[in-house]
Amino acid sequence: MYQTIAELVTAATTQQRRLSDVMIAQEMAATNQTYDEVWSTMERQLAVMADAVKRGSEGEGVYSQTGLTGGEAVKLKHYREQHQSLAGDTILAAVQNAIATNEVNAAMGVICATPTAGSSGTLPGVLFMLKERLDLDHNAMVRFLFTAGAFGMIIANNAMIAGATGGCQAEVGSASGMAAAAAVEAAGGTPEQSAEALAMALSNLLGLVCDPIAGLVELPCVKRNAVGAGNALIAADMALAGCTNKIPADEVVGAMKAIGENLPSTLRETGLGGLAATPTGIKMKMKIFGKQMDLDS
Amino acid sequence: MSANYKSVFDIIGPVMIGPSSSHTAGAVAIGQAARQVFHEPVLGIEVHYYESFAQTHLGHGTDYAIISGVLGFDPADARVPEAVTIARQQGIQVHFIEETGVSPVGHPNTAIVQLKNAKRQIRLTGCSIGGGTIEVRQVQFDGFNIKPPGSLPLVLARMTPSLATQFVQRLGQFTGINHRHQYTAGTQTLFEYSLNQRLRVTEQRQLQQLVPDLIYL
Repeated sequence: MYQTIAELVTAATTQQRRLSDVMIAQEMAATNQTYDEVWSTMERQLAVMADAVKRGSEGEGVYSQTGLTGGEAVKLKHYREQHQSLAGDTILAAVQNAIATNEVNAAMGVICATPTAGSSGTLPGVLFMLKERLDLDHNAMVRFLFTAGAFGMIIANNAMIAGATGGCQAEVGSASGMAAAAAVEAAGGTPEQSAEALAMALSNLLGLVCDPIAGLVELPCVKRNAVGAGNALIAADMALAGCTNKIPADEVVGAMKAIGENLPSTLRETGLGGLAATPTGIKMKMKIFGKQMDLDS
Repeated sequence: MSANYKSVFDIIGPVMIGPSSSHTAGAVAIGQAARQVFHEPVLGIEVHYYESFAQTHLGHGTDYAIISGVLGFDPADARVPEAVTIARQQGIQVHFIEETGVSPVGHPNTAIVQLKNAKRQIRLTGCSIGGGTIEVRQVQFDGFNIKPPGSLPLVLARMTPSLATQFVQRLGQFTGINHRHQYTAGTQTLFEYSLNQRLRVTEQRQLQQLVPDLIYL
């Protein structure tokens, strides 16, 4: 198993193989499965992501039980149809996909965690936009997920991916780095450029705290995935242009871990600090749980 | 040192019902682990939550997620949100306790699950470390108090030390073993093995034929 991003990039470069192929080979060895078994499991994950993106953008959209989130992927869809957006349609398509997925998640629908449920919109946000933009075929989309997963495993094993241990930087930050690295491969970039894209994307989101209103994976989680997707595309483009992060990807992951460990628990998915502790955030929590909490006590 | 995330599908996955992989899908996995250890009809479930779990279990659906696991549901099962009601309809007593102290095993997403019926009781301490992946830090049953390093997969085999030699040989053909420990309770011995990779169903069956009293988490 590759322990560092440097090892992963070296393996792909020296073997002259795509990162996705390196990941598939590792998975076959680690889980004792055939190429077809590993490939078809990833196809199933892709199908779940496609369904969530579609469901969140259709009709009136989806709404969570609390009413805190929902319907905004559809708002973005209509806006894209009727206006010339400021950021451009590529970015907004990714944002719409990301928000659609996380709205389905908040509504307790079926999603694929990438790497977590709270950050499940970032990767599909980028992927289903690139499908149109780069005319990716089915196989290229499956490869995108293997490449993203290869980087995600290294982050998860060397640092963390849970908001409760590392804040949102560990969730949306990791997802954004994974998406940036995979986008580079999909666009024909080198493994080295994938690592640079990850390093830039994750560096840009270091320090992001996990402060969900009422402890729910809704506010601000849904929209942070919009930023995760947009940030991934910007980082991937910078890497493809030849820009570098200067601080190597593995060291950025190390910095993320150290920052996560230093975050107070109020900013690690307890719903006690940050936006959750604002007057409006507290009011929302009382409205949702006030009655239920009385019953429990 | 062993990696907690061993498969790409720990990262691109699991497929699950929202909203939180650590508080929902991971909680299902903790419930499933407790179910595997008990492997008998359950009459009572008591769940103790610590830190982030204690603060946010209501909003994340952690209650129904853990009960789903105890009932044997998959994280993507449509019955997951109804699991507490389903358990109570089956006559199972269900209690959730928010502990105010820090986690006894030092992880912010810790849950202790106790399962019981008229004859037996077990207690399992699980940590949800993110993305639906869990660690099992303590398992108490039938007089054993097992404290594994945490990372899964984990095999708990109740057998004589003489059989253990043969068992380890067979296990070693399937996977590397990261950690092993022997426990005794009265006249009984139990062996704990933390594995390098997941076992296939056929491999689990072969091991079970050798040692019938085997728990695979």
